[in-house]
Amino acid sequence: MDILATFAGSFLNQLQSPTLAFLIGGMLLAACGSKLSIPDAIYKFIVFVLLMRIGLHGGMEIRHADLRALAFPAFLAAVMGCICVLIGRYSLALLPRIQVPDAVATAGLFGAVSASTLAAALIILEEQSIAYEAWAPALYPFMDIPALVLAIVLATLHRQRTEGSASQRVLVLKIVIDSLRGSALSALLLGLLIGISANPVRIYEEFYDPMFRGMLSILLLIMGMEAYSRLAELRQVAHWFGAYALCAPLVHGLIAFGLGYAAHVALGFSQGGVILLAVMASSSSDISGPPTLRAAIPEANPSAYIGASTSIGTPVALAVGIPLFIALAEIVF
Amino acid sequence: MVTPATKVTIIAENLLEQDILAVINEAGATGYTIVEGRGKGKYGLHGNRGTSVIDAFSIIRIEFVMRDRDTALHVAQTISERHFSQQPGIIYFSAVEVLRADRF
Repeated sequence: MDILATFAGSFLNQLQSPTLAFLIGGMLLAACGSKLSIPDAIYKFIVFVLLMRIGLHGGMEIRHADLRALAFPAFLAAVMGCICVLIGRYSLALLPRIQVPDAVATAGLFGAVSASTLAAALIILEEQSIAYEAWAPALYPFMDIPALVLAIVLATLHRQRTEGSASQRVLVLKIVIDSLRGSALSALLLGLLIGISANPVRIYEEFYDPMFRGMLSILLLIMGMEAYSRLAELRQVAHWFGAYALCAPLVHGLIAFGLGYAAHVALGFSQGGVILLAVMASSSSDISGPPTLRAAIPEANPSAYIGASTSIGTPVALAVGIPLFIALAEIVF
Repeated sequence: MVTPATKVTIIAENLLEQDILAVINEAGATGYTIVEGRGKGKYGLHGNRGTSVIDAFSIIRIEFVMRDRDTALHVAQTISERHFSQQPGIIYFSAVEVLRADRF
């Protein structure tokens, strides 16, 4: 019973966090038909500030870190990205009235990583002083890119089988470069580079770090509004997408938690690192993933995969996933 | 004073911009104009409603003018075949009259 009580306490605690309040507030505003709108430019700037802050922080800490320890968790992250896509391919895609390309694209997004969910998890870890490796946020691309690549490869294989068309080559390098050029990953990688090579302590302490929470609250408000407005689109596709979006974040997160815990036992991967790995697996890309998939899997219906990810996947990962993994970590560590 | 020419108007999602421009440039068009917008079509609403965190799905209108009608039709045909079988997009033509014909 103690375990359940710990979990329930930590869960309720998380539910009252301002992070979630802004997300739910955004949904409420959209549901009430509020005319509040936040210009695109601001939202893009916020994504930049958040990822730059994460990158700078990681970069400055990495100087003192042993980077060889990164190799195994990075490998785990890549494996986890692929597992998420394979789970979707062999569960969602086999359900009745589900088009395989729609299912594979959805699985790709759920395997990829959401920058906003990652930022929210980092804030909560820092608030609760749970230690994590400085390079842990840099696991992002290692999970994100393999998931998108595998989803695109599976969709292409399916297209060849059904159309009997000549074998098409998937330009893996093009997808990788495309992903790295996306706004979120560019900012993260530049931040890491500047953090490692320059000495941005003052800029970090005076600008990026104090802005972090405030900016995240606005981004979550936007995500909440977006989640509600995409619900209408999700209603037009098969209900299985909704069911998948409810379960997938938790299933993916728990598998990653298990893998991360194994890395903890074998190599001493930290408690915060395990939580971050689980949160990344649990999150689903809602900003940089969709355009990549849209371009590479044109036959998939964006209402299905964006609706599932933005309307249900992200809120579930934020509201249930993060508190669940933190509570779980408190119990096992 | 004025010369007859063909104006091609392409409306497509933002993410196809580079691919469409490649075809137009290949055909030897001397220029084009791009306007961003929003609207509604067979694939539902495109573009901003309150917030939209993905701008790749908002729409653009690309226009170019060519004196040689056949080349213009050929360009449009190529774009349509390559990109519009599974993605939203429309193309239409207008007969126009241009000043300074050497520019087209």
